Amino acid sequence: MTAAPIRSSMRQTQAAQQTTPSSPHTPQQQQRSLRSSFGGTASPVPSFRNEEDSVILEFGSRWLRAGFEGENSPMCVVGFGPEESRKAGDYRGWVRNREDDNIGHRPQFMKAEDWTRDLELWRMDIRDLDLGLVEDKIERAIREIYNKYLLTDAGSSRLVLVLPSIIPHPLLSTVLTTLFNRWRYPSISLLPSATMATAAAGLRSALVVDLGWEETIITGVYEYRELKIGRSIRAMRLLVQEMGKMLTKLANKNSHDKIPEDGVSVRLEYCEEVVCRLAWCKLNRENDVDSTRLDQDPAILSDRASGQVKQGSFPSGTVMISVPSPGDPNSSYMEVPLLSFAEPVERALFAAGFADCDLDDHDKPVQVLIYNTLLALPPDVRGSCMSRIIFTGGGSKIVGIRQRVMTDVESLVQKYGWSAIRGTSIDQQRQKLQELSINQSYRVQSQTASSPSHPSSARSSAEPSTQFAKGDEELDFVEQKLRRGNKDAKPFIQGVFRQVDSLGAWAGASLVTSLKIKGLVEIEREKYLQHGLAGASRDLDSHHHHVVDRRSGFNPSTSRPGGDRSSWTLGGWT
Amino acid sequence: MARPFPYTYISCPCAETPTPDPSAKRTSRDLSSKKNAGQSAASESGEEGDEQAFDPRSPRANFSLYPPEQLLFCEDCHQIKCPRCITEEIVCWYCPNCLFETPSSMVRSEGNRCARNCFTCPVCTAPLAVTTLENTTESHAHQGPWILACGYCMWTTLDIGLKFDKPTNIRIQLSKIYENANGRKASKTVSGLKSSLSTLSSMSEQLPGPDEEGDDGSRNPKEQSQLDHNARFAALKTFYRNQIAETSASPTDPLGSDFGAIFSSPSALNRIMSIYTSSTLGGPYGAAAKKQKSKLPVMREALTASEGLKIPPPDAERFIIERVTSPDCGWDGLASMDQRAFQSPDARFVDDLRPLPVLLRTKRSKRCKSCKHILVKPEFKPQSTRFRIRLIALSYIPLSTLRPLVPSPYPGQLPSSTTSPSISAPSLDALEPSKPIQFLLTLKNHLFDPVNVTLATPSLTPGRVTSKITILCPQFELGANSDVWDEALQNATATADRSSRSGSGFEKVAEAGKVWDKGRNWTTVVLEVVPGTLPGSSPRPTLQLGGKKVHDARETSDKWENTSPLREDEDVIEIPIFVRLEWDSENQMIEQPMGKGQKPETIKRELAYWMVLGAGRIKSEDASL
Repeated sequence: MTAAPIRSSMRQTQAAQQTTPSSPHTPQQQQRSLRSSFGGTASPVPSFRNEEDSVILEFGSRWLRAGFEGENSPMCVVGFGPEESRKAGDYRGWVRNREDDNIGHRPQFMKAEDWTRDLELWRMDIRDLDLGLVEDKIERAIREIYNKYLLTDAGSSRLVLVLPSIIPHPLLSTVLTTLFNRWRYPSISLLPSATMATAAAGLRSALVVDLGWEETIITGVYEYRELKIGRSIRAMRLLVQEMGKMLTKLANKNSHDKIPEDGVSVRLEYCEEVVCRLAWCKLNRENDVDSTRLDQDPAILSDRASGQVKQGSFPSGTVMISVPSPGDPNSSYMEVPLLSFAEPVERALFAAGFADCDLDDHDKPVQVLIYNTLLALPPDVRGSCMSRIIFTGGGSKIVGIRQRVMTDVESLVQKYGWSAIRGTSIDQQRQKLQELSINQSYRVQSQTASSPSHPSSARSSAEPSTQFAKGDEELDFVEQKLRRGNKDAKPFIQGVFRQVDSLGAWAGASLVTSLKIKGLVEIEREKYLQHGLAGASRDLDSHHHHVVDRRSGFNPSTSRPGGDRSSWTLGGWT
Repeated sequence: MARPFPYTYISCPCAETPTPDPSAKRTSRDLSSKKNAGQSAASESGEEGDEQAFDPRSPRANFSLYPPEQLLFCEDCHQIKCPRCITEEIVCWYCPNCLFETPSSMVRSEGNRCARNCFTCPVCTAPLAVTTLENTTESHAHQGPWILACGYCMWTTLDIGLKFDKPTNIRIQLSKIYENANGRKASKTVSGLKSSLSTLSSMSEQLPGPDEEGDDGSRNPKEQSQLDHNARFAALKTFYRNQIAETSASPTDPLGSDFGAIFSSPSALNRIMSIYTSSTLGGPYGAAAKKQKSKLPVMREALTASEGLKIPPPDAERFIIERVTSPDCGWDGLASMDQRAFQSPDARFVDDLRPLPVLLRTKRSKRCKSCKHILVKPEFKPQSTRFRIRLIALSYIPLSTLRPLVPSPYPGQLPSSTTSPSISAPSLDALEPSKPIQFLLTLKNHLFDPVNVTLATPSLTPGRVTSKITILCPQFELGANSDVWDEALQNATATADRSSRSGSGFEKVAEAGKVWDKGRNWTTVVLEVVPGTLPGSSPRPTLQLGGKKVHDARETSDKWENTSPLREDEDVIEIPIFVRLEWDSENQMIEQPMGKGQKPETIKRELAYWMVLGAGRIKSEDASL
């Protein structure tokens, strides 16, 4: 399929502005609003328990979110930490002040990597992963979720799993085997988390930046299809390790012991608490060529001026905050400059202090990864993805990180344009060209943005920054006609950096499932138990071989009949 | 704390079978063949059968070991049943705070939480009490505004500015308060946006580019960010519903809203075909524009905040940082991870926390997963703690207790552990390395048949810290649990006997092959343990997962290995013991019709499982507290 029908459908989106259906139709079933724990959408309309309501589970490498379809947030979030994997009847996690903690002892150092290992359910590197243990953990977690939170009989309803779109098959097989063997689920559907995050933002295309525990995964989603995935280990695990090292240094400031290179002595729970509460991110990179250049740029400076009056004075390095002392969190407090809680973020996620040449492909900093992923996308897809950047995952809760990432990516684009070519000679060439007042990078950009079939992008990119306006403004007659026709329509925003907030992958899956949209990957019990994952048909017929994520999305043209299929497929997970 | 020493855990036999579900036997063959085919290495480590000794330190063991009192027993399968090999059915839902039962139809609509006045404190999880604000002495109903207050941490709903008119139905009042707040915000947002849209005529100004967002934010500050999670979800849902209705429903297609039926309708197919043909043949836009009327619009994305789109204002994060740095926030003003767990995803500060209605609880009946035999059936009423059926494992398997052999025959031999019987227990928390200590293992039979017991244990405990274990008498018999009076009499003599023994210091020496002591339905044998030495240097914990062959790596001197601490509980002596029970029992099938007089036909029964005894903790050299 070429891009032409899609583009025409985008045209259509401009026409379809009104939210009220234009054609007569039977009124939709009144939305069944379930009262959340805060009763936010509580209505006097009694909503009856529907036994058929699917249960939605979102698996991450650390957390498992569970709840029912149609609810706006998961009922519970369960971790897989050391407390969760104790023996039954071992309640030491509930004892608050454990005297066997290293109070009074010489601090014991652990390697940062091993320090965080216990928290994980799995890791994508399954070489030294005990799959049996994963099975045990999943079984116990789901049993407890049903007994404590969902309060319904396990296995009676359909199950929807939200999984990352790339997951090793042994892991997937373990999950499915455990679920099917332990409970009597009639069927399990799989939904990809990036696409669900897109749906939960109300979008059809997006660049999903998932700052997860194990990896940062950047997914370019276009019309609900995953086109390009970039990943990096600069994620929350690294951040927690960095924070642990920082706190270890604080804790041992006065001691004479030598701190091992990679050693961590503080409690993991404490460190996580610090990350959760205090980790923050400088809103722009200081002492950096990019930022100074950025600040000199009049266009950007002007649109910053409104919101950032205190730019110079904030954030100041002198602000102190008192936190429980890292050596002894239960009894004493310690004054720590707030700035030191931003440094681990800089190091872990933005690779501060590393030269570009030291970074391997798997540990690119987040902003570079976003830039590369965008660069790898086709230009028109890039245009719509870059103005729909969604931050999700645990790392997106770090204060300031979204704005910081956006600024950094923008500055990268300012610096290099959409081109992968780097090097000194290129820089010289660029400089020469700049002197000729033809800025190479901007021209490249405006070319992608204002190709004749995409006048809307030219329009949109023309406004926010003046350079973009230098691009050719000429419109073809069709476009002019269309413009006249849709005076009141809101244009399809494209080609500018914009961040859109999403409710998260779980909420997206809940939304999609409650709209009775069937996932493409639906695994039936009997078929799975016969052949396991090998039973999935791999021959992708011509109908959908181009679709990476072949859910029958909202767009009817991508949906497939949901009737009985003799063969099932793993869709994007093959 | 962990269980006090000495403790007993029993490993459910279901952990040893790769497919824990015997009822799925028809599929187990297929599954195993599937696994052999290389599809899954899932059960590689689980398949270590009886040949290999059970390793209580393996990470998986934590999931198969249960305290004996948590185990059930299926009489049909003659097997121990752990929570993993049972299925559960909910009998009733109730609030653990007010003990009111919630009908099953209401559970979900109430969000699985109590719909009355039961709330927990969002800060410390203690239950909240409904109290009146005015401290008046009169005890009448109209005492003015009511609040929820925590008796433990003194948090009240006043902290977040909430008061209630009535002391009853707090949950409904609360949800109304939230709803009003949301409704106000939502309507404000919608109207605000509409007005801003109508005033702006040119397209360029409608672009939510950075400039526009900036001054939009300054005009109605925080407007967009205030459409909270619930409201946005609802908005998105309506938006998608409308879109689906708009794009799929047509007058000729009555089943428009049903996705499955779309493709059965020829008109819909036509329509889809026309999308392709028109756009490819007639150029991208010309034909499409002409066909506008005949064609339904295609779904679009959400464009406004009222449709659920949220574009965060650029300085939202700056506000948060400023708030964190403000002196009245600090560490304690930020919500902890535990506090955030059940709150709205946007909650970051303690002020954002809301009181939580108490989670309901359930009474569940339990069935054996393989034979569907009911194992536990509680009374229906929430207030009742009785059970109609409860087949706990302890009434079928022998109860095993371990205690240190206190009166040492040679007092010089165990200087640390023996002075008086009462303080022998604390010594278990600090056992001397390499000093032999003897334990008495008592097994008590609950069956009405004599049972032959065979114990087996690896001579060295698995793991890094290896202790030597010797069971002096691994084979013995337990008497039948026949007559209660008999027991009472025997107990009296036995205790008298024992006390005299321990008092006098005279005593028999533990001998190999001999039972230490024996009662009507119990037998005691001696277990000798030589605690291992804690490694001064230890291999990397990752290697330790692999098993026992890490002794070589121990000597390599690395600063890591020198300083690497023991893994948690690595210094605990956990003794895996394989217990095999054999007994002749009456065949239950023929039992009923048979008369009392004749000897019933017996059938040989066998039960085998791994048991783990936690004997004590080895004292470490430097922990001289």
